[in-house]
Amino acid sequence: MSSLVEMKNIKKDYYLGETRITALKSINLSIQNGEFVAVWGPSGSGKSTLCNLMGLTDNHTSGTLLFQGTEVTSLSDNQKSEMRNQHLGFIFQNFNLIPVLTALDNVTLPLLIKGEFEKSSINAAKSLLFELGIGDYFLHRPHKLSGGQQQRVAIARALITAPDLIIADEPTANLDSENALKIIDLMRKINISKKTTFVFSTHDQRLLDRVNRQINLQDGFITNDSKADKKNNDNVETNKNTNFETKQML
Amino acid sequence: MNSKFIVWIKFAMANLLRNGRRSFYTIIAIAIGYAAVNIFGGFTSYIFTNLKDSFIYSHANGHLTIFKKGFLTEGRIDPTKYLITSQEYALIDDICAKIPQILIATPQMQITGLISNGEVSTVFIGSGRVPSQTQEIQRQATGIGGNLKLHNGKALQDDIPYGVGLTNGLAEKLNIDIGSDAVVMSPTVDGRINALDVEVFQRYDVPVEELNDKVMRLPLKFAQSLYDTKSIDRLSLLLTDEKLITPIKKLLQTAFKKNKLEMEVKTWKELSPFYRKVKDMFDIIFIFIFIIVFIIVVTSVVNTLSMSVIERTREIGTLRALGLKRKGIIGLFAMESGMLGLVGSFFGILITILNWLLIKLFEPQWMPPNYVIKIPLEIFMVPVYMYWTLLFLVLLSSIISIIPAKKAAYKNIVDALGHT
Repeated sequence: MSSLVEMKNIKKDYYLGETRITALKSINLSIQNGEFVAVWGPSGSGKSTLCNLMGLTDNHTSGTLLFQGTEVTSLSDNQKSEMRNQHLGFIFQNFNLIPVLTALDNVTLPLLIKGEFEKSSINAAKSLLFELGIGDYFLHRPHKLSGGQQQRVAIARALITAPDLIIADEPTANLDSENALKIIDLMRKINISKKTTFVFSTHDQRLLDRVNRQINLQDGFITNDSKADKKNNDNVETNKNTNFETKQML
Repeated sequence: MNSKFIVWIKFAMANLLRNGRRSFYTIIAIAIGYAAVNIFGGFTSYIFTNLKDSFIYSHANGHLTIFKKGFLTEGRIDPTKYLITSQEYALIDDICAKIPQILIATPQMQITGLISNGEVSTVFIGSGRVPSQTQEIQRQATGIGGNLKLHNGKALQDDIPYGVGLTNGLAEKLNIDIGSDAVVMSPTVDGRINALDVEVFQRYDVPVEELNDKVMRLPLKFAQSLYDTKSIDRLSLLLTDEKLITPIKKLLQTAFKKNKLEMEVKTWKELSPFYRKVKDMFDIIFIFIFIIVFIIVVTSVVNTLSMSVIERTREIGTLRALGLKRKGIIGLFAMESGMLGLVGSFFGILITILNWLLIKLFEPQWMPPNYVIKIPLEIFMVPVYMYWTLLFLVLLSSIISIIPAKKAAYKNIVDALGHT
């Protein structure tokens, strides 16, 4: 079976003025369907760059990047846009909800972009919001929602197109501890129940404790790529009793 | 309209409302631009209509005028050589009678000579007309020109050939008034001197100051008697519809050729250089106003959208990450911009209507070019102008949004997402 994402000798350079900065140096890795992967490391280690490349929002300088077996450098901007829309979901550190749209409209936005917006889309978005415990807030605009609620809306938005891979860049960085834990458990549950692949960058040790694979980056190199021990996975399962609204839904 | 498009419209509207004050100012700029173009367009339309009515109806020149070929060029030196003979006139009148779209065909004879009160003599330029037909042409006017009384005294009459009208300047020069007698003298077409008595029936003004002490109007029969001829120098035609000018002109030219008549037919526009000059002047002013409006709209919309692009950079990055293509970003901004144009034009229509109502309410009076008395000022509502201005502003707003929208669409997604 082919990998969902495969990187071979990926290198990424940035230019700050005339100064070249190499963010990623010879990255080799593959992500399989259904994995729950954390990319971690200190600031400037290349975590976000790695996520951006996997999310097809940035271009690598050299090497080969295959997404579902397709070499992404051969894709046009439009094709990459279609791929992001249909196969990828994004969760951002700052939630990045559209402030003028309601929670419901934010969730249906990827379907609107896809051109598949119908009445059934609204029902699907509503049920997703209920599933994530914010069904009572679907007509609220983002500024009326707490950070945790906004991130749930962002998760619903990422899930609405049933993507193969969700890229989450520091998803808990702007959340308090309680909400961070809830979001981590929620993503893990989605990963288990819907078999959605998650790759996220994080500094958050609580999140690292709950993943089944950790990729450690240092100065643009992968220094460690290991599966988390079973204990951590079990830990996630025991967290089912955690008090958050979605436990009935998933 | 499908539901997807409605949702995009709602999204675009929400984006415009997020900075309501800025959008409002842009809308106001567009509205004022719209109103400026349409109010000025309505005013020029009123001016053109009045000038046209003045020439065709008030001055009873009709839509078309028939001259003997050469009268307007060589005939200026010796007009008597290029007169239409009575036989030719009869033939032309017969041709015109067979064309039902010609309402009136009235002959004219312009003469020059001396007019004297017995003590003082001065030159005059006279227009010999058939009074009843002249009055009939004036009655056909649909605009303001038809209701104006342009003289003091009584109307000229077909059966009283010695009853004439003098311009006020001419009457003052000769120190005569309505009811006074005078003598006019002129060489006949054969070169002999002829003199006839006249009675002043009316006094009036002509719009050209330099002619206000030289012009008189007189019945055609009198002009022919003075020149001792049965000829005329032109024939003015009033048509049932202005749109028929070109086809009737062609029809007449064909008929004249067929009957071996050496005539030329001129339209009222060809004979009214004043109208053409005024129109050209207003057209140029209109272009200037249009350019100013164009610049105001372009700068307002580009400024509004450029600010919007800066403020929404992160959102643009998010939309791109979610899969919206570059053309989608451009389309979204174009839609927002088009809405500014549409709403601005809507308010522009309201301002135009309000202006129209105020002018209707207060009925200000003024004296336009080629008029000798004050008439009500009007601003016409011209639906064609209003429609095209609306379409133009909506399209212009949408098209110029491409400049900032393209900038937004081609932003690097990662940079846009990291924008603060």
